[in-house]
Amino acid sequence: MAAELDQILEYAETLSAVDTTDIEPTAHAIPLPTPLREDRALPPLDPELAVANAPEREGFAFVVPKVIEGDQEG
Amino acid sequence: MSAPPHPRFEVVIGLEVHTQLRTESKLFSPAPVSYGQPPNHSVHPICLALPGVLPVLNARAVELAIRMALATHCSVHRRSIFARKNYFYPDLPKGYQISQYEDPIATGGWIEVALEDGEHARTQRVGLTRIHMEEDAGKSIHDAAHVADDATHIDLNRAGVPLLEIVSEPDLRSPAEAAAYLRALRQILRYIEVSDADMEKGHFRCDANVSLRRPGDSALGTRTELKNLNSFRFVELALEAEIERQAAILEGGGRVQQATMAFDPATRRTRVLRLKENAEDYRYFPDPDLIPLVLSEEQIERVRASLPELAEHKCVRFQREHGLSAYDARQLTSSRALADFFEQAVAAHGTPKAVANWMLRDLREALSAFDLEIESSRLTPQSLAALMRLVDAGRTTAKSARELLPVLVREGGDPAALVRERGLEAMSDAGVLEAAVAAAIAENAENVARYRSGEEKVLNFLMGQVMRRTGGKASPAVVRELLARKLARETS
Amino acid sequence: MSAAFETLSELAEKLASREVSSVELVGAALARAQATQRTLHAFAGLRPARALAEAAQADTRRRRGEPRSPFDGVPVAIKDNMVQTGEPTTCASRILEGFVSPYTATAVTRLEHAGAVVIGRTNMDEFAMGSSTEHSSSGPTRNPWRLACTPGGSSGGSAAAVAAGIVPAALGSDTGGSIRQPASFCGVVGLKPTYGRVSRWGLVAFASSLDQIGVFTRNAHDAAGLLELISGHDPFDSTSIPEPAPALRSALDGDVSGLVVGLPRECFVAEGLDPGVLTAVREAVAELERAGAKLREISLPHTRFAIATYYLIATAEASSNLARYDGVRYGRRARGARDLTEMYERTRSEGFGEEVKRRILLGTYVLSAGYYDAYYRKAQQVRTLLRGDFERAFAACDVIVTPTSPEVAFELGAKTSDPLAMYLSDIYTVSANLAGVPGLSIPCGLVKGLPVGLQLMGPALGEATLLRVADAFERRTPWHTRRPEPTP
Repeated sequence: MAAELDQILEYAETLSAVDTTDIEPTAHAIPLPTPLREDRALPPLDPELAVANAPEREGFAFVVPKVIEGDQEG
Repeated sequence: MSAPPHPRFEVVIGLEVHTQLRTESKLFSPAPVSYGQPPNHSVHPICLALPGVLPVLNARAVELAIRMALATHCSVHRRSIFARKNYFYPDLPKGYQISQYEDPIATGGWIEVALEDGEHARTQRVGLTRIHMEEDAGKSIHDAAHVADDATHIDLNRAGVPLLEIVSEPDLRSPAEAAAYLRALRQILRYIEVSDADMEKGHFRCDANVSLRRPGDSALGTRTELKNLNSFRFVELALEAEIERQAAILEGGGRVQQATMAFDPATRRTRVLRLKENAEDYRYFPDPDLIPLVLSEEQIERVRASLPELAEHKCVRFQREHGLSAYDARQLTSSRALADFFEQAVAAHGTPKAVANWMLRDLREALSAFDLEIESSRLTPQSLAALMRLVDAGRTTAKSARELLPVLVREGGDPAALVRERGLEAMSDAGVLEAAVAAAIAENAENVARYRSGEEKVLNFLMGQVMRRTGGKASPAVVRELLARKLARETS
Repeated sequence: MSAAFETLSELAEKLASREVSSVELVGAALARAQATQRTLHAFAGLRPARALAEAAQADTRRRRGEPRSPFDGVPVAIKDNMVQTGEPTTCASRILEGFVSPYTATAVTRLEHAGAVVIGRTNMDEFAMGSSTEHSSSGPTRNPWRLACTPGGSSGGSAAAVAAGIVPAALGSDTGGSIRQPASFCGVVGLKPTYGRVSRWGLVAFASSLDQIGVFTRNAHDAAGLLELISGHDPFDSTSIPEPAPALRSALDGDVSGLVVGLPRECFVAEGLDPGVLTAVREAVAELERAGAKLREISLPHTRFAIATYYLIATAEASSNLARYDGVRYGRRARGARDLTEMYERTRSEGFGEEVKRRILLGTYVLSAGYYDAYYRKAQQVRTLLRGDFERAFAACDVIVTPTSPEVAFELGAKTSDPLAMYLSDIYTVSANLAGVPGLSIPCGLVKGLPVGLQLMGPALGEATLLRVADAFERRTPWHTRRPEPTP
């Protein structure tokens, strides 16, 4: 895996030869106006369906191995 | 709080607040924003990050963000970008949070914070670095009765709920100032109906950054971050504890390490959760599923025009137009509901000072006793005004009216009708009064003599006697007049 | 199995004239799919009971004279990365084993509303990452023209299903050429529309700014009809173009006189290009000239940077899009993990194949602090330059023509040990995704019995022009009517 990744990254280095001074990075290939959604709540998904695919569940909650506090996101 | 928070160091505090926006649906999903639902009863495929789903931005969330930005004097950016903040956590279904990073919707505002300093109230201007929109994560539930020791339950009802992140400049200099800032921020959010900002419901969460430096130093010391502080009191206590901890380190010749800290309210101490050198790289990049948010001048002006009058402005106006004291004005403008109630009552009654007195004393007591907010009181501004007019006209005594107020607050009703029903009409029947006065004079000859020999204060005692006989229903002013007349006549 | 190679339009006519019933057509399609599963393995799964029930309903509607559309009752296939309510979607990955979707992709809903009957989901490279359909958790699909060869990828199953006459049409997805290249390898028409033309709601994301759903058909006319059906604005997709579905079939008048065909010199360099492919493409271009088109040499100077640009952007977006496959809410979870970290690591390590893991690692690296500017941001800047190349080119021509692929179908296993070589086979196709422009591959020849594809690219929203050129070419040449006689 590592060797292939190295090879691909080396290939990617070829871009450094391109002069991109003052060129804007592409945000979107096709410029569009900002789509906005009206603030109207739709009926939620049937809770049975929401957890139907769960590998492990208890009632309607998803169950995972315990989260250690230090892992917690910052 | 005239004493500085630490004798030997200057304290520098910046606060990051996450507040839930008042919308019906989530930021990028049409699932309802709900409270108190069973787990995963308020989700949509988007909230679950099912394969193939895509986000669509909630128009009202944008409007509310602009509103808050304008109310806090920020520059609203015509173009802002949503970015993905990538990290793994079970309550983060996509494995990234949609937030704003390099191009937030607003930057560079400020708010005025009122700091009560004994009798010398002063205001402090606190800068805002930025305001941006982001979605909330779901909930991880560990320590609950129904959850096994080695498991965590995940509820995604909250995942995707719209949040506003408000970051202050490090302009705060003490825990008390920090708490005052939070109160001021919350008041604005409620005033302009952007957020209910209820800390108990988790609508309003605060992280604090704190560092110390020697007085006179311009460079900032190393800061630590206190997370998950869920009441104003905890914010103050946590900051106090952390200041103490950092001071001890510095005075011992050590260096403060950048870290994320947790506060334990039981021990009142802070401890390191995670050192910042192990901090995650979130690999922010613009979300390719979303188009940059571009606002027109018109859109922004429309929101500006719909901004309600803010507390600061109202407070000044109340002092000017209604002749209230600064203190009273501040109390009455502390919430929009209170301010609106006041103005409507004044419109119905006409004497601002009297209305203010009633509201700040008796009404406040009644609300507090029933644990009600003014919005849920059954007393209307018009019925308060009517009650006050009954007293003015002598139809009932002030004492009776004050007894009636809590009833009106809790049950509503027409003051005049209630006065009649409860027999609280001021005694106005001349005959009954005269008889009571005569009887009191007859039974208290000694005191009468004292009065006539110049002890004017005895009148009050005699009045008390008359009031007793009338069961307190006589108008004191009328009784006083009658007594004085009768006593005077008999001397002559 | 007489209906095997008929076009969508032909079948629609037969259904309209009641010459054949939907149940017969759908039944026959299912039978062919089942019969070829061992040899071709075009399908990841079939839904016979539901398909036949839907076919019966279509027949009832026809009997009542109330067909939902001219395509009511026609059998079609969809790629296994488009969700459908109540159906399993695996994206050819172990990590999605057992996942059943509670909602349907917009493009598929539009098919359903027209009455088309989805007989099953076609095989693909895992999460659409690949050019050969060899990276599938259920094994490779084979090319109907030569079973020892790949059908191309990642939509190899859909291409093979149409090429082998199992269904007249199939949906695929194209991120860097995943419709056009398999169309080219399998001798069928493959169309990737303008970015935003077809909703991505319900398409399992690989690279969000590049992915598009498109169609495989036997000819340009069918492609036009099917694209009309599935395209148009969708409020559930923020990147969806706010335009209704275009009218395309009416553009197919066979007239290309005066049309300017641009030939980018960078795409006709002999090195790395199979001489047989070059000859076939040159001959096809000459045919267009005979039909009245004008040829013009143009330049797309940043073509040689397209692959690197593509792989940096695509893998970066993919690394983020695939973060949701964590075993928490759906799909496969590693058994017996003692803590959360182990659960994540093993679930993903066991659930993803090598190529997917490779791209996630690459993508994570590309976005990481310290490298973002040199890799991701740089690539997005080069992308802007590539878009500029196309804008300038389309000022000088109406349609750009190139070979779809530098080669014909390669043998199974020929490139699996050399990922970079596999990536380079996308050299002519990735630019269209980067620029967001539409691209179409049509069969234009055979080299040693294997199909050659001609790629047509047009300006944004220019599908009508591409289809007109393709249709004109079909009126003058027999390639789109050739059928595979598979040899091992």
